Amino acid sequence: MDQPIKVLLIEDSPPDARLLSVYLSESRTQQFQITPVSRLAEALQRLGSEDFDVVVSDLQLPDSQGIATFEWLKAHVQDVPIIVLSGSDDEILASRAVREGAQDYLVKGRFDAHGLVRSITYAIERHRAEQALQESEKHYKFLLESITDYTYSVKLRDALPIKTVHGPGCISITGYSPDEYQADPGLWFRMVHEEDRAAVVAQVKAVQSGETPPPLEHRIIHKNGQIRWVRHTAVPSRDRTGRLDSYDGLIADITERKRAEEDLISSEGFYHSLVENLPQNILRKDLNERFTFANQRFCQMLGQPLEEIIGKTDFDFFPPQLAEKYQRDDRFVIRTGQTFETIEENQTPSGEKIYVNVIKTPIYDAKGQIIGIQGIFWDITERKRFEERLQKANEELAASEAALRKSHEELKAAQLQLIQAEKMEAIGTLAAGVAHEVKNPLAILMMGVNYLAKKLSGTDDNIVQVVKEMREAIDRADSITRGLLDFSASRQLAIRSEDLNQVIEETLRLVRHELNKKQIVVVKHLGERLPHVGVDKRQIQQVFVNIIVNSVHAMPEGGTLTVRTYSKQLTETSHFEGSRKATHFWVGDIAVIAEVEDTGTGIPEENLAKIFDPFFTTKPTGVGTGLGLPVTKKIIELHGGSMDIKNVSGGGVRVTIKLKAHRS
Amino acid sequence: MAKKRILLVDDEKSFTNLLKLNLEDTGKYEVRVENWAEDAYSAAKEFKPDLVLLDIIMPRMPGGNVAAQIKEDPALKDTPIVFLTAAVRKHQVEENDGIICDHPCLAKPATVEMVIETIEKHARK
Repeated sequence: MDQPIKVLLIEDSPPDARLLSVYLSESRTQQFQITPVSRLAEALQRLGSEDFDVVVSDLQLPDSQGIATFEWLKAHVQDVPIIVLSGSDDEILASRAVREGAQDYLVKGRFDAHGLVRSITYAIERHRAEQALQESEKHYKFLLESITDYTYSVKLRDALPIKTVHGPGCISITGYSPDEYQADPGLWFRMVHEEDRAAVVAQVKAVQSGETPPPLEHRIIHKNGQIRWVRHTAVPSRDRTGRLDSYDGLIADITERKRAEEDLISSEGFYHSLVENLPQNILRKDLNERFTFANQRFCQMLGQPLEEIIGKTDFDFFPPQLAEKYQRDDRFVIRTGQTFETIEENQTPSGEKIYVNVIKTPIYDAKGQIIGIQGIFWDITERKRFEERLQKANEELAASEAALRKSHEELKAAQLQLIQAEKMEAIGTLAAGVAHEVKNPLAILMMGVNYLAKKLSGTDDNIVQVVKEMREAIDRADSITRGLLDFSASRQLAIRSEDLNQVIEETLRLVRHELNKKQIVVVKHLGERLPHVGVDKRQIQQVFVNIIVNSVHAMPEGGTLTVRTYSKQLTETSHFEGSRKATHFWVGDIAVIAEVEDTGTGIPEENLAKIFDPFFTTKPTGVGTGLGLPVTKKIIELHGGSMDIKNVSGGGVRVTIKLKAHRS
Repeated sequence: MAKKRILLVDDEKSFTNLLKLNLEDTGKYEVRVENWAEDAYSAAKEFKPDLVLLDIIMPRMPGGNVAAQIKEDPALKDTPIVFLTAAVRKHQVEENDGIICDHPCLAKPATVEMVIETIEKHARK
């Protein structure tokens, strides 16, 4: 026995449902497995989760009435046959359901067990057959639609067509059936696209006159209005006597191919337009470095038409060195498969030097093998020149900025010197005033001390000592006021033309005792034929005494004092050598220079800036007044000279005095 | 031997007191002090000094003017005048052999010894 037939029974009346179940269970030929439900919603739910072979349904249910019940079911179960049950009063409704696709209808009370079983089994069978037919139709339709060729045959009598037969494939290509062609002799011609009709007529005439024309590709208008491309081949046919009695034609649908061709042409046109209109030079070479392509721009650069370039190499157009370089780059791309990009100096065949940006990439065949290279390059000479100009401008800017900074610093230094010079002037004026006012009280003290010394001589030793120290203090105060007055500018110089060497020799004799006492060796390098200088000899002697005494103080354990004189023509100078009032040195002036160098303790860096300040001293109180160097410098400046003090490497100090040679 | 008559003209009262004390203490000098420059000429006419010690920078009238008054007076024109001043420095005096503005000069502060030496050198014998 076959598998039991699964029945979904939709019936809200329990007696009817029971009756149906009884009928089906009584069958001896077929087993039924019945699933009874009373509402449509329940039925739909069951159908969603279980497979049934057939649905038997009453149309009048609590939740759905009439034809709608069937439509609901049909929408849910396309593959399952449906049998509707109706009362005797709504048979019309049931028959309508059958028209809509129900397999059968049964009127309650008018069928027996046998009729029910038969209805069900038939419904299932019929449904299967319908399904198979639908499948077959679908398949056939698919086949029909995939046909791209059809043939036709034209019978001729006296070279005129008397009968035409179209093969069945015509419907899939043209949309018209053979019968339609049969019924309408002009249809085949009207089907041809208007613009192609002349060519088609020519071809038909040719074949009707016994020739075998070449295949013709033309357009037709499909029955649905679409334009299709066909390839029409027509061959004449003769009877046994050799008389032309018919011709046969083959129509092949080439729409797809034509469309692909058009796409290709349009795509080619697109790329061609790109390649030829881009501002880049584009070229291709094969593995043997032979050009296989050059765009117009590159052709113009080489000065040759494309035909003259294809097959040639870089050596045919460029200097050997350049050609060798290009090929080296190509070989790199071919070897590594990598993109090569560079900016290089290039020379056109016309000899012009240009800068180009180059990108080279490998060309692959369909199998992924490298078959050559593609090069794209473009002229960046303008950009490069602009960059170069920009860089040059930048450098110039940087240079002028540096010059500006330098002159700014010079100005700053000059300003500092000016401030220092003004400070010195102010101090000088003040010092002169103070010194004068201090002198009168000192004179009084001197008189008083003189009197006391005389009156108290020979008395108490302590008193004598007190008076003596008071006297010494007055001397010291007097010495300071004198220094201050020296420092002030109110001074008249007795300028005479002097030999500086002689001035120095005399000074050394004055301080000989001091030098000997400290066992200081004096080394003299006094320049020969030194130009004379215009100086106040006494003042300059005081300058050298001050300098040498300082050196002696710096060498308490002895050492070497080197005195050097020479002259030179100035090749550079500062506008601000010293005080604003001092005479400036100019380029070309002859200067007489004296250097005094010791091997002493040197000057601590932090003191270098202060050594010319009045009252700055590092010596014990009473030993130095702090006026020696300021006065010394003042004297030199009054002479229009300059004075400079520097530490020398290895310890010690070098004092440089620069004086103008006396004009004779 | 008669004491030399010294006219001391200086606006610094303490200085004139002390110098007078020092000079008279030697027993060789009779010192008359004038602290106001405008009083100096009349004092000279009256005192008839053997030497005038004259300050230069004084209030109201400089020492140079006093010297000119004395020199213009026929009776006094031979009176030696020595400037004793803080306005010059010792070495300036030395460089010019002690003569400034046609008169001997002493720089303050001078010691009593120096003052005496100068007086002895220039005073009317």
